[in-house]
Formats: sequence, C-alpha cells, structure tokens
Amino acid sequence: MSTVGTGSNDKCKIGVYVCHCGINISSKVDVSKTVRFAAKLPHVTVSREYKFMCADPGQDLIQQDIRDGRINRAVVASCSPLMHEPTFRNTMAEAGGNPFLFQMANIREHVSWVTLDNTAATEKAMSLISAAVERVVFHQPLMPNRVPVHPDVLVVGGGIAGIHAALTLADAGQKVYLVEREPSIGGHMAKFDKTFPTLDCSACILTPKMSAVRAHSNITLWSYSEVIGVDGFVGNFKVRVRRKPRYIIEERCVGCLDCIEACIYKSGKVPDEFNEGLVKRKPVYIPFPQATPLVAVIDAKTCIGIRTGKCKMTCIDACERDAIDLNQSEEINEIEVGAIILATGFKTFNAKRIYRYGYGKYSNIYTSLELERMVNAAGPTGGEITLKNGQKPKAVGIVHCVGSRDNKTNKYCSKVCCMYSLKLAHLIKERTGAEVYNFYIDMRTPGKGYEEFYDRLLEENVHFIRGRVAEITDWVMTPEEEGKLVIRAEDTLVGVVRRVPVDMVVLSVGLEPQPDAEDVGRLFNISCTREGWFLERHPKLAPVSTFTDGIFLAGACQGPKDIPDSVAQAGAAAAEALALIDRGYVVLEPNTAYVQDELCSGCKTCIDLCPYGAISFDDEKDTAKVNGALCKGCGTCVASCPSGSLQQYLFTDDQIFSEIKGVILYA
Amino acid sequence: MGYAKHRGKIRFESDLEPDFSKEISSIPEGEQLFSCIQCGTCSGMCPLSQYMDYTPRQIIAMIRGGFKNDVLSSYTTWLCASCYSCAVECPKEIKLTDIMYAAKRLAIREGVYPKRFPIPILAHEFFKNVDDSGRNSEGRLILRLLLRTNPLRLFNQAGLGWRLLKTGRFSLKKESIVHKGELKNILKVLEKEHMVKSKEELAPGREAGS
Repeated sequence: MSTVGTGSNDKCKIGVYVCHCGINISSKVDVSKTVRFAAKLPHVTVSREYKFMCADPGQDLIQQDIRDGRINRAVVASCSPLMHEPTFRNTMAEAGGNPFLFQMANIREHVSWVTLDNTAATEKAMSLISAAVERVVFHQPLMPNRVPVHPDVLVVGGGIAGIHAALTLADAGQKVYLVEREPSIGGHMAKFDKTFPTLDCSACILTPKMSAVRAHSNITLWSYSEVIGVDGFVGNFKVRVRRKPRYIIEERCVGCLDCIEACIYKSGKVPDEFNEGLVKRKPVYIPFPQATPLVAVIDAKTCIGIRTGKCKMTCIDACERDAIDLNQSEEINEIEVGAIILATGFKTFNAKRIYRYGYGKYSNIYTSLELERMVNAAGPTGGEITLKNGQKPKAVGIVHCVGSRDNKTNKYCSKVCCMYSLKLAHLIKERTGAEVYNFYIDMRTPGKGYEEFYDRLLEENVHFIRGRVAEITDWVMTPEEEGKLVIRAEDTLVGVVRRVPVDMVVLSVGLEPQPDAEDVGRLFNISCTREGWFLERHPKLAPVSTFTDGIFLAGACQGPKDIPDSVAQAGAAAAEALALIDRGYVVLEPNTAYVQDELCSGCKTCIDLCPYGAISFDDEKDTAKVNGALCKGCGTCVASCPSGSLQQYLFTDDQIFSEIKGVILYA
Repeated sequence: MGYAKHRGKIRFESDLEPDFSKEISSIPEGEQLFSCIQCGTCSGMCPLSQYMDYTPRQIIAMIRGGFKNDVLSSYTTWLCASCYSCAVECPKEIKLTDIMYAAKRLAIREGVYPKRFPIPILAHEFFKNVDDSGRNSEGRLILRLLLRTNPLRLFNQAGLGWRLLKTGRFSLKKESIVHKGELKNILKVLEKEHMVKSKEELAPGREAGS
C-alpha cells in the first residue's frame, strides 16, 4: 500500500483507489503510475493502490478516509461494476457517505484482460480513471427506492423440475401457480419406465409428487395453459396466462373414461403424442392413466363435433356429469407474482435429420424415447419389446450420440444419453435375452453410482463397440445379414471396420432446447445461449439466476440434465425465490427520470413514448410529470425530449459529458 | 529413412517427429486435424478401408502423435480414392481427403512411399509422360507401370492387351503435341515456383531459400 499526494481542501474531495486485483490488473497496468497520475487530477485529495480493493482491508481504506474527512466522493478503478459496484456502494454507506457519490472505472474487463500491450493498458486505465473522476464531481446524493415483493410465485413447466420447485415453495407456505402447456403435468419423466442407475420405477417415484401437486392447497395448477404476457419487474410481475379450451369442464370431470369409450371413433385416429406416435388415440382422450389433473381433453383439430358440428356427439350423452362443453372458449387469467421459475424442459433431437441412420426409412429403427414407451408396462405394447412382425429381436444395436457432438447438428454432449442407453441395454437384455451392441464414441458416466452401473452392464455381457456408427443399411454382403439391418462402424479399439447385423436399432437421440425457447426467452426478457438454452447469470456462482432479477431457472431448459440434477436445481431455484420473498422488499436502482419544470414546454412527446406509462401531464403546471415508482430508467423519454428538460438520475447530461471530457482530456 | 525397422508395436519418443502434425496441418483448414475425437465415422464411411493397413482414423491419430514414418510409408493414403465420404460425414468437419493429399505430397517429396505400390508410381509415370511429350500415351503408361511394379502381371494382362490393340482401343504409339518446348518452359517455371513454395510449407516461419 502506498499513498501519493494530498490535495486542496475543496468542497468536493475525491478519493481514487486503484486495485491490483492480485496480478489480474497489475500484470498489464502500471498501477503506481496511474496512482501518481490520479493524484494530480482536479478535486482528488487521496490516491491509493491496494492488492485487493474488494477485500476488507481495501474497503477499510475508503471508510477510514471518509471518517477522517479526507474524502467525500470515491472512484474505484478495478473490475466490472457488475461484479463489485454494490460492494463499494455499501462501503460508502457504512462509513456514513452517500452510496451514489461513487463511480467505478473498469480497468480489468475493459483493459488488462483484453490487451497484451502494457503501455496501452496503462494509458487506457489512466483515461478511464480521469473520466470517472470528472464524472463523480457531478454525482448527486440519492436514496434508493424500496419496493415490496409480492409473495406468490409462478412456476412455468410441470415436468419433474417444475413439480419439485412448486412443491418446495408450497410446503414453505407460499402460494404457487403451476402452468403447464400439456393436458397433464409429469413431463418427460412420466414417459420413462425405469430410471438410471438404480432402476427405480419412474412412475412409482413421480406420481406421488404429481398427486401432491394436485392436492396441495397452496398450488394452483393450470394445465393445458400457456403464459402469454409478462410485465413488471422483480417482486412485482404481472403475468397473463391463456387457458386453452379443453372442451371439458375441469371441475366436473372425474376421469371415468366414459366419453372416450362413447366417441364415435371406435379406434384411435390421431398419433398419440404421449406414446411418441407408436399408437393412435381418439380425439377425446386422457394422455396416460396417472395424468394430473385426471381430466379428459378434446383435441379440437380432430373432433368432428367441434370441427363441423355434424356428429352424433355420443360423448355428451355418455357423460353423466355434464362435463363436456364443445362451445368452451379460451380464458385469459391475470395474476401478480413476486418471482418466476422457468422449468420449460427440452425436446429430443429429430433422428430424421441424420438420413444415413435410416430412421423413418427402415422399420424397426426406434428413437430412445419410443423405446422407453415400448419397455413401459403401461405403454402401447404392455412392456413387450417386439419387432414390427411381432417377434422378439435376437440382436439389438444401440447407437449413441445421435445428433450430439457433431458440428452439423449439436456440438455439445447431451450428457444423459450414455446412461439412458445403458439402462435401455439392460432392459432389452432382461426382457428379450437379445445380444445388445452399444456403439459409443466415449462412455460418459460421471455421477453417483453411474460408473458402477456401467461395470454391471459389462458383466452382463452387453457388447460395447467404441466407434460412431457410420451408417445403418439393409444392403446385404453376407448370408447371415439377410433380412437384417446392418450397422457399419469402426471398432476403434481394434482398428477394423465392423458390420453388425441386428434386428432392431435404438437411436440414442440427444437433448435440444424447446423449439420456442427463443420466444419464451423474449417473453420473460431473458437470454438464450447460441444453442437456445436459457442463459444463467453465472455458470458457476449463479447457475439458477438469470440476468433478469426475480426470474430463476430449473431443469433442462438451462442445459441437458438428468433427473437428480434437475431436481437439485429446482430446489435451488425455489430457495432463491424464497430468499427474495422472505426479505419482503427489493431495492431499486434510483436511476429514474425526472422533469426540470422550468424547461418543459409541455409538448407531451414523452408521454406516449414511455413503455411503462410512468409519465403523466400536470395540467396545473402545464408540464410532464414522472411517477418514480413506475419508471424503470430506460431513458427513452430523456433521449426524446426536444427541450432537454427530462433528465435521468445517474445519467444526467452533466455526468455523461464530463465523463467524455475526462477521456478526451487525458487520453 | 529407416522406416522399415519401426514395424514393431512400440514407439520410442526418439522414433517420433513432434512437428509432423504441424507440417500436415499447415494446409488450408488443416488445423481441424486437432479437433478429431477419434469416433471412427471416417473409417466406417470409407469404401476402401477394408484394404488399408491403417484405418483413416488411425492415420489422424498417428499424424497427431508424430508417427511420421508410419504414416508416410502406409498404403492408406495411397488407397484413398478421394470420394470425400469421410469429409462429408465427419462430425468435426475435418477435411480428411485434403490431409491424405498432404501426406501423399510429403511422401513423394521425401521419397518415403511404399516401394512397388502402383498408385504413387502411376502418378509419377503419368507426370513423366506428360512432361516428356505434352500428352499421355496410355499404352506406354501401362507398360511402364507394370514393369516397375510387378512385371509378371504383363503375362497375365497380355491377352487383354492384344485384344484391345486389335480393336484399336489401345495403342503403343507415343502421342505428342506440336510445341513440346513451350510446354516444357511453362512446367519449368511452375516447378520452380512450387519448389520455393513447398520449402516454405515444409519449414513454416523460416526464410525461403536461405
């Protein structure tokens, strides 16, 4: 630590503190030189350097200088304000200063981390410090706004992540709205038969949680519904939810299935989404026996009664509880919540995109999700794994990494496929006794009990061939390949190309963001990664928060995740939401706009431009008036004001122009 | 070069050339080589991999590992038919065909290709033919190729050759263009430029011709 220079006893006394950030800054910026430079700037009374300004001894430097009356304003030249602006504002406040008589100069992200040139780095650091000094002169003491937080929470998506988050919050006593797009909650997990690595029955562990959601007095479950509008800000969101018409009055239906039996279609007509299209369903249906809510739904696109009105409508006669209403229309509900948890999940890769694997061209090639339904005892085949001709397969090939780890489809590893492929291999071996061949690039089994599961499969004599499948074909080269599908791949551990004839192929498709993830992101004002996964605030230290305060992420909408990880993240998201609600208020940045009455000409330009309706017209004074509680500090009105009478706290013309002046003068 | 003595199943670091991968990857987009995940899609797609001594995937691994002698003396690169199946399906978009060409060029330059293997000899004889007379004479090319690779096959092919000769599909006449001298000059200039260039390629960063 060293101190350079003590200045005049001017009214405005600025302290400049330059941080080494270990060697993050000092390895590129000549810190001592910048300190000497800063000491000569106008109004600067103290100029110091320290190894870590954000550490307690660093903060103490500032506080001591304030208490001793050496400074009344501060400039810290260190990292991004995103990182430590709140820290140093607190430092100011604790020592009795105003937290807003402070400015940060970012000489790490904007200087030392982005150049190799030490001289240029030092120059730029000095000009940024001079800009901050010039600016802080014009800072005004401000008081931050405190706004109460609405105690209710919205959870979007009713898969395992959404269910867990909703239950956690509801158990803590919060009121939760759970909105699910499909007719039933349960998500992908409801489709699985067993879960890896313990081979727990998926339904046995999921359905109790689904029932708990339905029964919980704190949870309002809106299935077959979508969020269509989000307004407001952290602690005070206004959300509009569209409840799609299911043509069944939810309160009256008990799920007796009479309407489904009475439907004039004697057999299924439309591909059953829940069974991955392996079987067909009727226009009136309940997705699966444990559906929650257990309420039928009518598909308007295929129901003759709704489409044409010319139907005997046997379903209506069959329903003893008068629950069917073919004239139902959609309903828009408006709710207010303090926090939102997004758990919108994933979709699987479309295997048709890789034509050389023959999905959709050859029969007996299934995606992993289709096979999940097939091995499920409640599935279309009652748990029997059979070929199209009804026979049991004698050899099955499982192709890993379909649509993953490929620059032409998805670059990333989908994380769960290795493990679910092992699980399917085990189930196929157990149910059919077939020879099972796994074709993999790398076996990725990190996780509790996962590697042990792999060991178990090796001992069960499942074949593992290390090589990505080149193609699947029905082109026969030897007599034993006759009538079979041939998988061609290099056995890379041996170094030869193999042709493996099998009866059935399972394509282990990767995970992808929901097709409308970008739109949902825009709706909730959060960002997506390049692939389309929702972007967390920090990959390590804020993995469930987003850049929009009050909106949290859970489950696979943030990136490929298995069930344990999804549940863990859902719990974390619930805890973060609870922390926000429990505090009861949020502190808002006092960066609101204000009108200088004497300059306002009353042209009303700003009133229509304000996206938040925060500006009104004062008829008595003939001027515009800003409601500080509604203003979000977007700056639109400030930029549009023809007379320059609108100004914004923390961004006044004086502050911005003097900052520019500071850069130019000392550059 | 002494490559023949390296046929065993052990390679000492002194047998390897750490800069070999840099040499090969100096071709355009050659740095893609380093993103290979060894999945074997190339070998699986390759219609000729069954005849190769190393699969295409192994060639990449060997280039990265610096197995210069093994790569340059292997049949694999010479068997590549440039069908581009591997390059089309590679998940990491490695232009494997181009890498095969780079290895072939290097093998010719260093004289370390499999002796008596027809493909490099065919390329060599073809060029000599054109260089000599400005046009390729098929009959002479085949004769010289068989003589240099496996003269016994001459007897095998004699019947077919005779029938082709009789029907006029095949000729032993030397074909030639009118201004042979001008073509020779063009080729000479090209060769001179190529030599300068290839020296730069071989030793990137070093001054050419110094």
